[in-house]
Amino acid sequence: MTASQPPQHTSSPDPVVTTAGPPPGPADRSLKQTERPHPLTPFVRGWLIFVAIAIGWGREIVTSAGEDQFNAGGLTWILAILGVIVVLAAVTGFVAWYFTRFVIDDEELRIETGWIFKKSTKIPFERLQSVDIIQPLAARMFGLAELRLDAGNSSTKLRYLSRGKASRLRDYLLTRAHGERASVRDLDQQAAASIFTDLGTTDQPLVQVSPQRLILSFLLSSEWLIPAAMTIIIFVVTASLGVVPFALGALIPLIIGILTLIWRRVIGMFNFTLAESPRGLRITRGLTNLTSQSVPINRIQGVKTSQPLLWKLQGWYRVDVDILGYAQGESEDNESNASSVLLPVATLDEVEVAIGRVLPGFDLDAIELHPSPTRARWLRWFDFWTLRYGWDERTLITEQGWFTHVRDVVPHAKTQSVRIEQGPLQRLLRLADVHVHTPRGPVNAVAHQLDERTARELALSQLDRARAARAAERQRRAVETVRPDDHQGETELLAAFGTSRDQLLGAGGESEVFAIDHERVLRLYRSRHEAPRHTAGQLHGLYRSWAGSDIGLELPLILDIGERNGRFFTVDRRLSGRNFSGWLQHADMAERRPALISFLDATERLQQLPSPVPGFARLVGEAAPQQFSTLVELLSSMLQGPLRSSRSQLERDIPEVAEVWNRLHGELAQRSVAPAMVHGDVCPPNAYISQGPDGPVVTGIGDFSPHTVHADPVLDVAGAVIFLELEPYADAAADAAWLEAVAVERHGREIVRWIDTYRRFYGFYFSNAYAFDPHLYAWCLRQLSR
Amino acid sequence: MEELFAPPAYQWQRLSPKYRSMRRLTSLVVPPVLFTIPAVIVGVTSGRWWISGLIWAAAIVIVIARLGFVTRSWRSWGYVEREDDLYITHGVMFRSLIAVPYGRMQLVEVESGPLERAFDLASVTLKTASPETGAKIPGLRPDEATRLRDRLTELGEAHASGL
Repeated sequence: MTASQPPQHTSSPDPVVTTAGPPPGPADRSLKQTERPHPLTPFVRGWLIFVAIAIGWGREIVTSAGEDQFNAGGLTWILAILGVIVVLAAVTGFVAWYFTRFVIDDEELRIETGWIFKKSTKIPFERLQSVDIIQPLAARMFGLAELRLDAGNSSTKLRYLSRGKASRLRDYLLTRAHGERASVRDLDQQAAASIFTDLGTTDQPLVQVSPQRLILSFLLSSEWLIPAAMTIIIFVVTASLGVVPFALGALIPLIIGILTLIWRRVIGMFNFTLAESPRGLRITRGLTNLTSQSVPINRIQGVKTSQPLLWKLQGWYRVDVDILGYAQGESEDNESNASSVLLPVATLDEVEVAIGRVLPGFDLDAIELHPSPTRARWLRWFDFWTLRYGWDERTLITEQGWFTHVRDVVPHAKTQSVRIEQGPLQRLLRLADVHVHTPRGPVNAVAHQLDERTARELALSQLDRARAARAAERQRRAVETVRPDDHQGETELLAAFGTSRDQLLGAGGESEVFAIDHERVLRLYRSRHEAPRHTAGQLHGLYRSWAGSDIGLELPLILDIGERNGRFFTVDRRLSGRNFSGWLQHADMAERRPALISFLDATERLQQLPSPVPGFARLVGEAAPQQFSTLVELLSSMLQGPLRSSRSQLERDIPEVAEVWNRLHGELAQRSVAPAMVHGDVCPPNAYISQGPDGPVVTGIGDFSPHTVHADPVLDVAGAVIFLELEPYADAAADAAWLEAVAVERHGREIVRWIDTYRRFYGFYFSNAYAFDPHLYAWCLRQLSR
Repeated sequence: MEELFAPPAYQWQRLSPKYRSMRRLTSLVVPPVLFTIPAVIVGVTSGRWWISGLIWAAAIVIVIARLGFVTRSWRSWGYVEREDDLYITHGVMFRSLIAVPYGRMQLVEVESGPLERAFDLASVTLKTASPETGAKIPGLRPDEATRLRDRLTELGEAHASGL
């Protein structure tokens, strides 16, 4: 068993290693309480069967009315079969209801279904994308509602609950989905939402579509006018010729189409309300089936506004959005599903309000729209004057159409791919189309009939804009994950250890450290992923393997590892003394220089620590321990990860970066050295200083990390010298140069060469800092350009 | 004309010549087979075999036209891996150039049907969240196809970006 074994193994004699269960604290777990859906559920779910039976029976009686003789026996049979079906349906409905249980409480959201094949679905709160309430007519009559939970690709239905409970749970789940802490118990006091619109007291309606406007807009829409006119024309013509039955083949589908259209556009959109709730936008709509759906703004991929010709009279628009993952259900019954309609009909002012919410900062007037060249009229004689495209730094817009004017808006960050197309006629006219692809949905951005040179420029520049937007998005997300949004949970966690934000000792890229008492610190990891758990496990093993070796330096020790309130933490031994970095800023030169010498001493002592594996190796991290046969292989492997993200950035900032890279490899290939323990990030923020008999000395080095390797010990000597340049005090650079001279005195001229080599190494190694630390990245560029 | 579809400052990678051979074979075999069925039915049912002869003649015209087209079609295909995106071009009459950023790739598939295997070919398909992307490179050598898949997957991971 190597020292880097994660601490999860239960045979560990060390009693403080607990991975399961919360740390000692005041929060005791309340007893789990499972609930069943509303008892009326089987009846509501089975109503369709009852209707089918009623219709079948009714028809049977009607058709059999003339022939009593024959059917008396048949009817009994049919009734018996129907009776069996009814009983079976009732039993399965009851069984399904009986075995469906759910838990929604402060800790988890879990749904259990199935009698023979048990299924338990647990949905992490953070994964919830949207929570919708849907009330089909039958359920609505009984005051019940379905809760639809959408988590990434999977959609889970919870039916049926009483309406009040459903809306309370929806609010609770959305609160939790936003990473905030709330208790189910707090929600019981909330005022109930209105029966007709499902708007809570805290919801602020943004746009409400009145029934008059909805119906008038429907009557003016091309989708209604064209089939209606066709139906009338066909009917009148055939009726005047006396051949109506022959036209039924065309008339019946038309009429069915019209009825579905009325169902979707009028009945489904009745009482349409777009409201702003504390949890984002919410849409409620429907005359018979009431749907209440939340709009996940971060999943919107594009916006489309359209205006049929006659709507120009009233200045109305329709707004649709591409919502990731919604389109799959589009062909199903629209009225009970989440749909992509943001506004079925709205005035320009209302459209601006809504678009302002989904694409903050979008300003159409500020975007210069370019028309297609006039020679496009040969190909698009019917609407060439409406073809337009334009972009600003965040979105791309295309416009087209005269009969129905359509404007598609695609944020650059959501662009999937770009295509240029050119047919034979277009080639003659030197025209081409540019398609900007977005995920499935109503938005379809195509810039039609551009001059071919413009088309190429638009397509290529769109790729650049999309790339820049993606990078900006990544950066924004990185910042968001670094700044935890779960303040209440964090406060609770800190309180459970008897510490608080005021006790913050230091913060790094991965974690923050809080003082618990003189002996211990709490290290709280920022990331919510598995990685820190893995790293901490390996570090725990590494630190324990060093417990026996005394190198005259305090080293860290992990006392406890755990997870609480969704955050991963460790309890570490507190290194005595002050943080060296903080101390350096206020020390004068006379004190600083001896302290720096002791810092160099401490760094050099680290190489005496034993390694769990012989040879060149990475000791901490995902694949660790991972051994390499040569130093170059190890260091190349270390550079791979950071360079993957920073490579194109580096190529932009340093034209001759390939040369620097080759030079580094050439130099490293000449290095021959026996491997020793390397901290990998020896810098003042990771060192601790205490008052010794002859003045302040560095007495501890902490924060071993995935940078820790078994490799060339000069890596750390170089690090101690060159990272000093990053310290925020005035003479840091001078001190670094002086410390390098000290190192040369100790190890000879030869070391200058290797410090220079490792400058380039660290320059590459930390270059992914471009995304989050411009100061560090600038330092990297300086190292690489030396 | 060429410059509209050329990749910026790169050379197109072309398809394997075996793809051309395969397309030649399908062009040669498929239309006669398809046209023979109606020709025989017409001949047998009506007895007017000269109509069947016309149908066969049509098949031969189509075969010749398609054979003439194969080389141009094969030559029109091209792809190139740039730093941040993959470019694919194809089409003789209707030409297109598609650029797929690595950061947007969700899936890279390598496929090889029985006919393709007989010609030692495979195709690579890139999928993004958009169904319109439709980026497929047919007619690659299997080793090139797997190399491309591995390379694209690797680049996709490196550039990955949430939706």
